[in-house]
Amino acid sequence: MITVENISKSFGDVKAVKDVSLVAEDGKITALLGANGAGKTTSMRMIYALITPETGVVTVDGINSTENPVDARARMGVLPDARGLYKRLTARENMAYFGRLQGMNEADITRRSDELIERLGMEKFADRQTDGFSQGQRVKVAIARAIIHDPQNILLDEPTNGLDVMSTRAIRAFLREEKTRGKCLLFSSHVMQEVSAVCDEITVVDAGIIRAKGTEAELLALTGEKNLEDAFVSLVTKEAVTGADL
Amino acid sequence: MISKAFKTVFKKEVMENLRDKRTVMSSLVMGAVLGPLLMLGLFHVITNVTKGKAEEQLELPVINIQSAQNLEKHLLSQGVKIIELDEKSPEQAIKDKDHDVILEIDEGYSEDMSSGQVAKVMLYYDGSAKGNSNISVNKARSMINAYSSSIGAIRLQLRGVSPGIMNVISIENHDQASSESKGAQMMSFLPYVLIIVLFSGSMYLAIDTTAGEKERKSLEPLFLNPVSRTDILSGKLAATISFGLITLVVTVIVFKLTLPFYPMKKLGVNLDLSMYKLLVIFVALMPLAVLASAIQTIIASFSKSFKEAQTYVGMLIIIPMIPSMILMLLSVKEKLWMMAVPILSQNLIINQIIRGEDPGAAAILVTVFSTLFFGLLLAWIAVRLYNKENMLFAD
Repeated sequence: MITVENISKSFGDVKAVKDVSLVAEDGKITALLGANGAGKTTSMRMIYALITPETGVVTVDGINSTENPVDARARMGVLPDARGLYKRLTARENMAYFGRLQGMNEADITRRSDELIERLGMEKFADRQTDGFSQGQRVKVAIARAIIHDPQNILLDEPTNGLDVMSTRAIRAFLREEKTRGKCLLFSSHVMQEVSAVCDEITVVDAGIIRAKGTEAELLALTGEKNLEDAFVSLVTKEAVTGADL
Repeated sequence: MISKAFKTVFKKEVMENLRDKRTVMSSLVMGAVLGPLLMLGLFHVITNVTKGKAEEQLELPVINIQSAQNLEKHLLSQGVKIIELDEKSPEQAIKDKDHDVILEIDEGYSEDMSSGQVAKVMLYYDGSAKGNSNISVNKARSMINAYSSSIGAIRLQLRGVSPGIMNVISIENHDQASSESKGAQMMSFLPYVLIIVLFSGSMYLAIDTTAGEKERKSLEPLFLNPVSRTDILSGKLAATISFGLITLVVTVIVFKLTLPFYPMKKLGVNLDLSMYKLLVIFVALMPLAVLASAIQTIIASFSKSFKEAQTYVGMLIIIPMIPSMILMLLSVKEKLWMMAVPILSQNLIINQIIRGEDPGAAAILVTVFSTLFFGLLLAWIAVRLYNKENMLFAD
């Protein structure tokens, strides 16, 4: 479970994120929905303890990620916006490298790699060097690498960005499976259909501020719109509606 | 102290870069193997050209030789091949580089000679000509001077005067150059080559593991693992240093193997580099690998792309050139404080060793520890850099 309380971050004079709070619960997929440049990636980077928030607290399974980033990271598997692979290593070696950095032993790495290769359908390219992989193959390797240590919390920054239908479906199915295993999933996206298709809880963020939170049905009710896209447009164009109004 | 993460990162960087043909080609093959071979080839070319010219028969076009038959006999006895100059004027022939030097006997030569006056000959040459043409000019000049003195001596003797009266002071030359120090003069570029090779050996990894990784967007996921950035960066730096050292070892070995093929005897020089001397050279250079890798890593870290880093790190190679160049041109007396200056100290020590001198344990200790100190200081800065948030992203 991830709890975010009033985190903010500015770069120079630009306030990228202002007082963002959210809770991502176990057994649920929580979305951070926002347009490009809304502050999603910066919020995510603070949540997964890559950069330090100026205000506020992030806790991961009760661990304060600012005070104890190393322990907090061990409880998270993160697919960041940057998802470069080592192209002179095979898919399996990419996964094993991260497994070792997560402190896993070789037997666990092999067992877990085999499991993820099977579940994500990576058998055909698992032992090839990743140079020349398709977008879909690369994302699968990046996800497998991120969660090689089977973390309780899975964070993904626009996971299906630029993927074709088949890869998108495979990844969505995988995320739902993880949810049923009781994992806490938090993902950021600007794609309405995606959020609509997989997420239980939605947090709408715009210009670094939270505009609304709730389930899809709650957001539709709040705005009086028929679909999530219209609800989103309505939320980001009018005055901020705080979570307390829901 | 050595953490598991450090070892994991180190192993991965070494393995990944050994798989990359570009790294292996650029640091090991190009620098370490081709460098010493190129040095040897260049040496042979230069020796053959200069030596050949000096031993070669002098071909001397002489104008109006019939006026100076005794001089002709003298020149022939010295093994000179006297030839006719074709249609051209001597000025034109020199300008066209047909000959290095042309001798013209003056019209009044034979008259002046028989009347005991100063006889005149003209030597045509191009004093600004490149290469070895001055060897021919000097040869011709000294032969004519020798002939002139011998005739002068005969004239004095005929008048009952000892020719020795002309020599008021005689200079006895005592050249203190040993065959080793002559060899050292020829090898004065060795420290430069070794230091450049060391820098180029670590350059590729310094860039690839930092700016390269940032550009390929794999740095952010790497830092999301539950290990300290210090461990990750130390592992990367260790891999970079290792490549610099491997390149250096290969270069020294290739150099040692090519050493018997240098034309030592032909040049009258002696360059004896025993395994022990090479080991001392290697020990003096070793801490420089830390310094080179650290400074390259720092520069590459500030770059956003591989290419940008390559430009800046490439320019860095000029720095070790400066002390080497100065020492090639100037004679410097070694002092202990100089051994505390990295790069300068390695230059001095290698020069001393190839001259056959013993640099002394104090000089080597000061060199190793001072270079290591600066190296570790820079390494510490390089590692610390990544605790700053704006170093993490390429955008």
